[in-house]
Amino acid sequence: MTAYLVRRLLWMPFLLLIVTFLTFVLGYYGPGDPAQLLLGQHSNPEAVERLRHELGLDRPLLVQFADYVWRALHGDFGESLTMARGRPVSDLLKRSLSITLQLNAVVLVVSLLVGVPLGVFAALKRNTWLDYLTMTGVVVAISLPTFLIAPILLWLFAYKWRLLPPGGWNGIFSRNIILPVIVMSAGPIAVFARQTRANLIDVLSQEYIRTAYAKGLHERRIFFVHALRNALIPLLTILGLMLGSLVVGSFITETIFGIPGVGRLAFQAFFSRDYPVIMALVLLIAIGYALANLLVDILYAFVDPRIRYQ
Amino acid sequence: MGRLLEVKNLETRFHTQDGTVHAVNGVSFYVDEGETLGVVGESGSGKSVTMLSVMRLIPQPPGEITNGEVWFEGRDLLKIDKEEMREVRGNRIAMIFQDPMTSLNPVLTIERQITEVLELHLGMNHQQARARAIELLKMVGIPAAEERIDSYPHQFSGGMRQRVMIAMGLACHPRLLIADEPTTALDVTIQAQIVELVKRLRDEIGMSVIWITHDLALLAGLADRIIVMYAGQIVESSPVHELYKNPRHPYTIGLLQSIPRLDEKQRERLQAIEGLPPDLIDYPTGCPFAPRCRFAIEKCWEVDPPLEEVSKGHYSACWVKPEGAEIMHQWHASNTEESQ
Amino acid sequence: MPTPEQLAIDRRAPLRVSVWQVRWRRFTDFTRRYARNRMAVIGLLIVLTWVVVGLFAPWIAPYGYDKTNYNAANQPPSFAHPLGTDALGRDQFSRMIWAARTALIVAPTATVVGVVLGVFFGLLAGYFGGWIDEIVMRLSDVLFAFPGLLFALLLAATLQPRLAAWLSQFERIKPWVRAGYVEFFVVVIALSLVGWPGLARLVRGQVLSLREQQFVEAARALGVSPWRIMWQHIFPNALPPVIVALSMSMGSAVVAEASLSFLGIGITPPTPSWGAMIYNEFASWRSPSAPWLLWAPGLAVAALTFAFNFIGDGLNEALNPQDRLT
Repeated sequence: MTAYLVRRLLWMPFLLLIVTFLTFVLGYYGPGDPAQLLLGQHSNPEAVERLRHELGLDRPLLVQFADYVWRALHGDFGESLTMARGRPVSDLLKRSLSITLQLNAVVLVVSLLVGVPLGVFAALKRNTWLDYLTMTGVVVAISLPTFLIAPILLWLFAYKWRLLPPGGWNGIFSRNIILPVIVMSAGPIAVFARQTRANLIDVLSQEYIRTAYAKGLHERRIFFVHALRNALIPLLTILGLMLGSLVVGSFITETIFGIPGVGRLAFQAFFSRDYPVIMALVLLIAIGYALANLLVDILYAFVDPRIRYQ
Repeated sequence: MGRLLEVKNLETRFHTQDGTVHAVNGVSFYVDEGETLGVVGESGSGKSVTMLSVMRLIPQPPGEITNGEVWFEGRDLLKIDKEEMREVRGNRIAMIFQDPMTSLNPVLTIERQITEVLELHLGMNHQQARARAIELLKMVGIPAAEERIDSYPHQFSGGMRQRVMIAMGLACHPRLLIADEPTTALDVTIQAQIVELVKRLRDEIGMSVIWITHDLALLAGLADRIIVMYAGQIVESSPVHELYKNPRHPYTIGLLQSIPRLDEKQRERLQAIEGLPPDLIDYPTGCPFAPRCRFAIEKCWEVDPPLEEVSKGHYSACWVKPEGAEIMHQWHASNTEESQ
Repeated sequence: MPTPEQLAIDRRAPLRVSVWQVRWRRFTDFTRRYARNRMAVIGLLIVLTWVVVGLFAPWIAPYGYDKTNYNAANQPPSFAHPLGTDALGRDQFSRMIWAARTALIVAPTATVVGVVLGVFFGLLAGYFGGWIDEIVMRLSDVLFAFPGLLFALLLAATLQPRLAAWLSQFERIKPWVRAGYVEFFVVVIALSLVGWPGLARLVRGQVLSLREQQFVEAARALGVSPWRIMWQHIFPNALPPVIVALSMSMGSAVVAEASLSFLGIGITPPTPSWGAMIYNEFASWRSPSAPWLLWAPGLAVAALTFAFNFIGDGLNEALNPQDRLT
């Protein structure tokens, strides 16, 4: 196990470097000339050439890449081209990233707190109408697209009944966060509930559970000590995989509810073709995701003795 | 010897999407104190389900015990409430299972899994329970028990895990140990060790044992009496030596003919029982073994034969009741001729 | 007492079953198990209905999708226009029907790329192992790390304009470029590019366990070539989870199309898309407020996604009989 983790750790810098390189190449070859963009379509070719030199754009790709990595390591992701011309990208990112992270943390906590008990409940009542009802609700929740629930909830709660604010950001303890969190949690709650139920039912049919019954243990003890732990371990993997989709999933929600997070920034950058911003975003999220999954693997070793001693 | 367990007319069904499975069909047997009963049959013959029914460990649904009585220490286990039944399980009757790889909880230490029984049934505190658990592990022959008690199941080999299972089963000195094919998943040499271990502990503790297996040969030196099951019924029941000497049910004869023997001088062809066991959903009228039986007569196809005494303590459920001793003799003779 | 030889009666009928009988039997078993799951059957019916609606849109839809009528703009539902009309007087009901076409062209094509890549690399990694496995798995690590939608945006922002410019040279493709299909496919292919590692890992796991099975060993012992073993012996057995994943990812592709159109990336007007219809209504809901235009396309997307998910569940149960009891 230790060997495996060491290998993962050694691989990590390469992984991040490859991710960065791919992103950089796309940004480099993709869009056309940033200098041209800055100066406008009909500017003086000589001026463009001068600016290219100033920006270091006339150097070889690898040199530029090394330069980009070097600066990125120091927290410098270049300057915004179009959205807020000349402003450091890191400035734009800082606030939006923190908002998105806060939002996602709340969503994760809410979906675990609701999803896991829901799955346990369904597993306990398995094959009764309560189970069917819960699980049908879960499939509905998985299938309902964000862009459908969000407008409907907004329309009902914010415009028709005027119970909740329609959006904006006021920190995680404000009423503004309620609707976005409901919208964003629906899917993850469903995934957790479904997985918890499936794992539990699987675990409950295992032979060691029969052994526990044969020992005369209380049903409650069998459930909570012998079954639940085994059933929850695989959720860690899902948690790791979900981190990525969660952050990306928040893009649409942020756009609809006008939350100034990474998602909204990404779309604004996309529509105004602000490549340095998009690149920095892709990079940061990829790195965050890779690190989070490494963390999940390490955590795994702590909760599952089978892995710890391999 | 007093009677420890008496099962009368037990019937267990499973309700599945494909229909009702008649897993156990009117099974009656008993176990005396200190006695070892061997239960033999191929997979699907209902031997495990019978014993799980005795322990009321049949998952419900889809399973259901539809009929019968299980008398143990003056009570019908099928009638007592859940809490009383829990007091019996692991305390008065212990059960160990086939696959020691999957029968232990992978995320709990051995210590946890043994001490919880002691704390529950004997009311020990944790220190006492731990000390006792170490004793138990030593008793079943686990080296360096003091250290290994804090290990997890996957750190043990298969044989060692089965020893742990046995230690767990014997923790409260049960009156009856039900061993459900405890050696099937193990190497042959380990099998012998486990059998010896159970024999030793049985005599030390003075408990009764029900040993389920599909291996008739294994029971020779272990059981006092054997019951043979087929399609959820007992087809033959006999003291152990009588059964080997003169089996009276065609199925038992078939089983014995399929055991390789080392004591024969010439090489013999083993005889397999042709065909497959009956569909337990579409349960046949008549004798369930008739379609595979070399001795079947018209009556066998119409009426299911009852278990009848053929000699003292020896019962067979067969209309023909062929003399197994004679057939086995002829078979050995003819095989020997052929191979010469 | 009769001897065994005298009593032996052969009751076994000779077994002669053709391959086709076995296949037919397997097929009927499969349909029977599938049909047991009522939701899966309903799901199949929903998808088939939409397929029919999409295929026959020109005959079913009362109006063309881009037929404008300024005299009948912003009308509430009526007999002539069951879902009313939009600001340009286009019949919303007809646009709903035409949009089914968009969804059902786009979802399968988008899914295929990911599935082909996933199955191919999964088989490769699982069967050959060693350094091939190592490379595929590391590659999948890299792609896994990319945030799907964001990566898609990056590609759409960088590659798409060049691709679109290049494709616009061809007269026949030009209308497709203008309808936003190119932009859309760039985005969707980007999504498949970062999405295939999941499926590849699934297939790889299957192959790893299948590789050790006796029938594969037997084939290898007979000198069957690796590619043939892979396609004829391993692939069919690794197929069930792939089919289930395929069905599920069809559902997410429908959502992806609608989400992207909702955000204004991808299918562009006047080509009809459910996502864009919702966006139009959402953007202007304060004043005219025609909530049915939020519900109708939304429910269409949801119904199609449900349907694919339920089909996936049904397939899963029908293809993995051992999971039936749970």
